[in-house]
Amino acid sequence: MESKNVLLDLAIRPAQPVAAPPNGAPRPIPDLKANILIVDDRSDKLLALQAVLASLDQNLVQARSGKEALRQLLKMDFAVILLDVSMPTMDGFETAGLIRQRPSSEHTPIIFITSIGNSENHIARGYSLGAVDYMLTPIVPDVLRAKVSVFVELHRQTELIKRQGEQLRRLEESRHQRELAEFADRLEIETRRNRFFTLALDMLGIADFNGCLLQVNPSWESVLGYSEAELKSVSGLDLVHPEDRPAMQQQMQALRNGGAAAELEGRYRHKDGSYRWLFWSAAPFPAENLIYIFARDITARKKAEAEVKLLNQELEQRLHALTAINSELEAFNYSIAHDLRTPLRSMSGFAKALLEDESANLSSLGLEYATRIARSANYMDNLLLDMLAYSRLTGAEMVPELFTLDEPVAELLGLVEKEIRDRRVTIQISSPLGGVFAHLPTFKQIMTNLISNSIKFVAPDRPPQIRIFTTSQADFIRLWVQDNGIGIPPEHHDKIFGLFQRLHDNQTYPGTGIGLALVRKGAERMGGKAGVESEVGQGSRFWVELPASPPSQNGKENSSRRG
Amino acid sequence: MEKRILHVEDNPDDVVLTAMAFRKAGVGAKLDVATDGDKAIAALSGFATNGPPACVLLDIKLPTLSGLEVLAWIRKQPNLKRLPVIMLTSSLIPSDINQAYDLGANSYLTKPPDLESLIGLVKTIDLYWLRTNTPAVLVA
Repeated sequence: MESKNVLLDLAIRPAQPVAAPPNGAPRPIPDLKANILIVDDRSDKLLALQAVLASLDQNLVQARSGKEALRQLLKMDFAVILLDVSMPTMDGFETAGLIRQRPSSEHTPIIFITSIGNSENHIARGYSLGAVDYMLTPIVPDVLRAKVSVFVELHRQTELIKRQGEQLRRLEESRHQRELAEFADRLEIETRRNRFFTLALDMLGIADFNGCLLQVNPSWESVLGYSEAELKSVSGLDLVHPEDRPAMQQQMQALRNGGAAAELEGRYRHKDGSYRWLFWSAAPFPAENLIYIFARDITARKKAEAEVKLLNQELEQRLHALTAINSELEAFNYSIAHDLRTPLRSMSGFAKALLEDESANLSSLGLEYATRIARSANYMDNLLLDMLAYSRLTGAEMVPELFTLDEPVAELLGLVEKEIRDRRVTIQISSPLGGVFAHLPTFKQIMTNLISNSIKFVAPDRPPQIRIFTTSQADFIRLWVQDNGIGIPPEHHDKIFGLFQRLHDNQTYPGTGIGLALVRKGAERMGGKAGVESEVGQGSRFWVELPASPPSQNGKENSSRRG
Repeated sequence: MEKRILHVEDNPDDVVLTAMAFRKAGVGAKLDVATDGDKAIAALSGFATNGPPACVLLDIKLPTLSGLEVLAWIRKQPNLKRLPVIMLTSSLIPSDINQAYDLGANSYLTKPPDLESLIGLVKTIDLYWLRTNTPAVLVA
């Protein structure tokens, strides 16, 4: 508190200008002319003295009485006073006595001027009053000049010394003031720094090269619980978690060896015994054998990080488990396909061999039975393949990509070229169809089903007409497959997309009841939808809606629209 | 000279159907049959008298040694390592397919679901592997 007051006191008082003299007293004349006071009641004697001393080229001041002499002495200092002894009212002795009583003229040399007749008596009295010399009249001009010169010179010397002393004093004073100002500045900076030091939310401290804390700010106590005194009484290393200590010691060693500023994370023991995570950075100052420390409590962050890590681990484990289950299911599906299809192959193969190689030995009923076996085996094989495709659609990971629809659609139509020719199908494509962000193999599967349906569900006597086109729905592209087929009653529009849902017997329009389920499931797995518009006898318009661009972009557009 | 093919297949129906397909396709190659992995290796080890077959039709799912193990063994034999091996299997498991190629299978064919397709496949095998393809030069 005290130092602060001192500081404030200094801070508000402007430093005194160094150049100006501390008191406004006028300094003596620059040519150093000495003042000489001549005191005599007779003007002829004054004139004579003036004439004698004129050649000294000093400042001669005359006084016609003791009283006047005293007045002059009030105005200025004199190098020497020439004082006539015998004057009316106040004689020289009386005047000298009064002169001596004044402190400023106490030591001013006085030369008495007296006639020879009175000399003995006067000299004794004059000396007792502090006269320095005597001049007897009549005056010998050379002697008077010589004597006065001595005092003038003495005065000059004294004045010089006085001036030099004054100058020295001023120099000393200005130096002192400069030092005071510097000290005030330093104190001000220090105090500001101290305020930062005290106010900082982070922990700031200074330690010696052994790790002992010498200075800490209040944050240390709020973070670690120890008082300043407690912190200063232990080595900083003692508070470090045993597991983190080796790293800390290594850092300390590096700092002692003049290493650059270092950063480290570690756990420190709180007064309550728990540990706090601190991030700290420190810089050594070898000249002072000090380490400046900055530390921050990162316990909350560390805790959050650990929680996130744990969550991630759990997620990863669950993902692992799911992936394992998934691949197990996939393997199971494949082996079903393998094992169930193998006997089917035999059934259909041998049934056909019967029909081809043994037809001569079989009755017509026998031939019909063999035909039924072969047809059933084929149907079951298709069923198995469709089920496999559907289950793969549910389980497999789909990596979407951007592609234009025109190429895969053309490719799929190429695959059913023979059927198109045989049934005289006309196909109209409104290209370009545009692009989607989807899983290409799944898209192909969907389109295969839609195209084969549009050819299949047309009355046998009509050549199928198919139109393929796209419309844009916000961030989606809707691909339409329109036919001139038998149509679907509206009440069945949703049902036909369910698994194993069929509207016709296997004889008229054969199928497994999986195709459209696969279309909807596939579209949904790719972030889209599927549906139909149809009336009985008016043909059907099936559509699949798929994202036009990657979802992140969609998200951005949405949020910007909202914003 | 009549070409010989080693058909490694454990399913007797497939053995009969494949033979039937060869006959119906009019391919005049003689089919030697091995019904498991061990028997396949035994048959291939004893080729000294007859010389190696023109190619091997190899199933994957087999008793004793799997088709992939038989394939690995073949590729380690100095006098068999360049023998054309055609995988003929119903497996579409990606790991089976890729492992077969990694082990040096020359071709990977899946068993067709019906007899017509099988006949077509046999014709293709005959046209490509028995007539068109130039086999490796045999080193004793």
